[in-house]
Amino acid sequence: MKIRTAWAAFAVLALAAGGCGSGSGSDDGSGKTTITFWDNNGGARTPVYQELIKRFEQANPTIHVEYVGVPIASVQQKYDTAVAGGDTPDVGGVTTSYLANLVGQQALEPADDWLAKSPVNGKLAKPMLDSVRATVPDGKLYLVPNTSNMDVVWYLKDLLPTPPGTWDEFFTDADTLTKAPDQYGYTIRGGAGSIFQVLAEMYSYSGISEFFDATGKSTVNDPKNVEFLTKMASLYKKDTPEADVTNDFPKMVAQFGTGKIAMMHHNLGSYNDHVKAHGADKIGAFALPAGPSGKRTIVANPVDGFAVFKNSAHKDAAWKFVEFLVSKESNSYWNSKTGQIPANTEAQTDSWVAALPHLKTAVDTLADPGTTVVSPPYYLPQFSSITKADTEPLFQKVLLGQMKPQAFLDTLAQKLTDAQAEWKKAHGG
Amino acid sequence: MATMRRKAVPYLLISPTVALIAAFLVYPIGSVAYYSLQNRNLTRPWADGFAGLENFRRMLFEDELFWHSLGFTAKWVIVEVGLQLLLGLALALIVNESFIGRALARSLVFSPWAVSGVLTTGIWILLYTPGTGVLRFLGRPEAAVLGNPDTVFPAVIVAELWRGVPFFAILLLAGLQGIPGELYEAASVDGAGRLRRFRHVTLPQLRDAIVLATLLRSVWEFNNVDLLYTLTGGGPAQVTTTLPLYVAQRAVDSKDFGYGSALTMAGFVILLFCSILYLRLSRFGAQR
Repeated sequence: MKIRTAWAAFAVLALAAGGCGSGSGSDDGSGKTTITFWDNNGGARTPVYQELIKRFEQANPTIHVEYVGVPIASVQQKYDTAVAGGDTPDVGGVTTSYLANLVGQQALEPADDWLAKSPVNGKLAKPMLDSVRATVPDGKLYLVPNTSNMDVVWYLKDLLPTPPGTWDEFFTDADTLTKAPDQYGYTIRGGAGSIFQVLAEMYSYSGISEFFDATGKSTVNDPKNVEFLTKMASLYKKDTPEADVTNDFPKMVAQFGTGKIAMMHHNLGSYNDHVKAHGADKIGAFALPAGPSGKRTIVANPVDGFAVFKNSAHKDAAWKFVEFLVSKESNSYWNSKTGQIPANTEAQTDSWVAALPHLKTAVDTLADPGTTVVSPPYYLPQFSSITKADTEPLFQKVLLGQMKPQAFLDTLAQKLTDAQAEWKKAHGG
Repeated sequence: MATMRRKAVPYLLISPTVALIAAFLVYPIGSVAYYSLQNRNLTRPWADGFAGLENFRRMLFEDELFWHSLGFTAKWVIVEVGLQLLLGLALALIVNESFIGRALARSLVFSPWAVSGVLTTGIWILLYTPGTGVLRFLGRPEAAVLGNPDTVFPAVIVAELWRGVPFFAILLLAGLQGIPGELYEAASVDGAGRLRRFRHVTLPQLRDAIVLATLLRSVWEFNNVDLLYTLTGGGPAQVTTTLPLYVAQRAVDSKDFGYGSALTMAGFVILLFCSILYLRLSRFGAQR
């Protein structure tokens, strides 16, 4: 009987250890090269890629692109599994927030040589290229930028005719727009993805321009950041729904879509969701307000783009596809459909950019010489796990009143400081 | 030659099974055991290498969350399996009686078992959604039961009960149908009432079925990932994090596979030990 029990337990463990993967491209015998492309945010933008792939295949009849839409929430895990199993796609959507991790696993092919010979050379936004290069230790271009993003606060114009200019005004607005029983001034992202938003809010309030001070210590627990978080956490359940503590992106957008929430912090990427729920004329967006210093400070969003994987058997076809995606026409099409900032500088001058008010707000804010851009340490391979698995539950404790904002930020700062020191040591810094 | 061939036949016959067990059990378990002794963290590739028992030391002496998740797992398994057994037995007894519409009642009792785990959580997420969920009938439409540390435990217990009770009901009903009618008749002749018949005939006859169902369900509930993962993700603030969920967080989300493997080995040993102990104490399958 003991043996039978042991097998039962063994079986459970074996099932838990199972995994899955997806194949890379192949030559199907018809002379056509098949390449696999993983969209790192499959779902709402799948039709955009389907259209672009159709155009690409018409222009390149010998190449077939197999589209795989990976949900954004599981994309890192999917890539890690694929790398571990040697089963990566030919091309994949990758952002700088997990680029360092993939490069650390030696999964990607640098694009420098390819770009030097490509017609798109010189046409991709330099800040985005610099940001990509700054993410990896060897300074190579492992990701070809497609788009950039910026944090904004979306609001309903019917409820809030004039957007707040400072965080103090924001807190006042959030309070006055809350009306029992179910009208709320604001919604906090308390679930997956919470930490990045809190970081963006805190630094825009405190005006601190570096993530680490000269000694390598994290500035996350600066008293001004603590002051902000204390104010923000006090909104929970007072001016926000109780369900916010577990709010991830879909839940937060769905809540905002009900029309019962006046303001919601996200980035340009959710534009289409809001248009669908409310109509383009009903929604507005403002950049994260300035704090008491009056300095406009924004935290740089990850650059999103395309990477060719080292394992690909069809790198030439893969580069061709990447080149097509970041060309003026495709890049303009993609970003106009998603409402984000194009990486292709020629596409940036297209008329639709100026015609979308939220995008104009973002482009103007980024172009304003008075704006300070703080770069998070995307180069730390641990940055993603520190700001997600390690500290998201702690942020929930802050909202629930089980942890003080100071203690939470001290913990986060310590983790970042340690990771920075370890990274520097590992890279001879 | 012929003798040798005859000797080889049994081995040949069991070789497919041995090969399958090696591929699907021995290898994965061996690799988890191997990684539990390694530093294997995708975000710190420079620190990879042999770790000895360091992962286990960290787990036992430094990791509060390990102990917290273990405590919650025990609470989850005991409450969940206990309630499922009681309600499942009650349902099995009811649908074992003869009444009009019994076939329909049986189908209804068993139907939640046929619903997939993710779909079950989908249903319960909708039921618990603030504003539109079932709580508006209780006068608290905006309450977020899954976001409140005080209400999240009963909420997930109810959801899992809905799915788990039919399992007990099915197994116990099968057991009930296997009890010979003469035993009840004899007990009646001896003057036993309904309660005494239940206590002295039904329960002893159901013992093996109860032991097996409880053991299987305990292992499953211990390893339950789908419902808790999709319903709460182990939250809010990790109050509903079971050991397997914690393994998923450390290994998959934090990419610390070495430490995740050590946690898995802990779960494995605990389950093995509890299973053996339970079967010994209950003397499962013993001739009476």
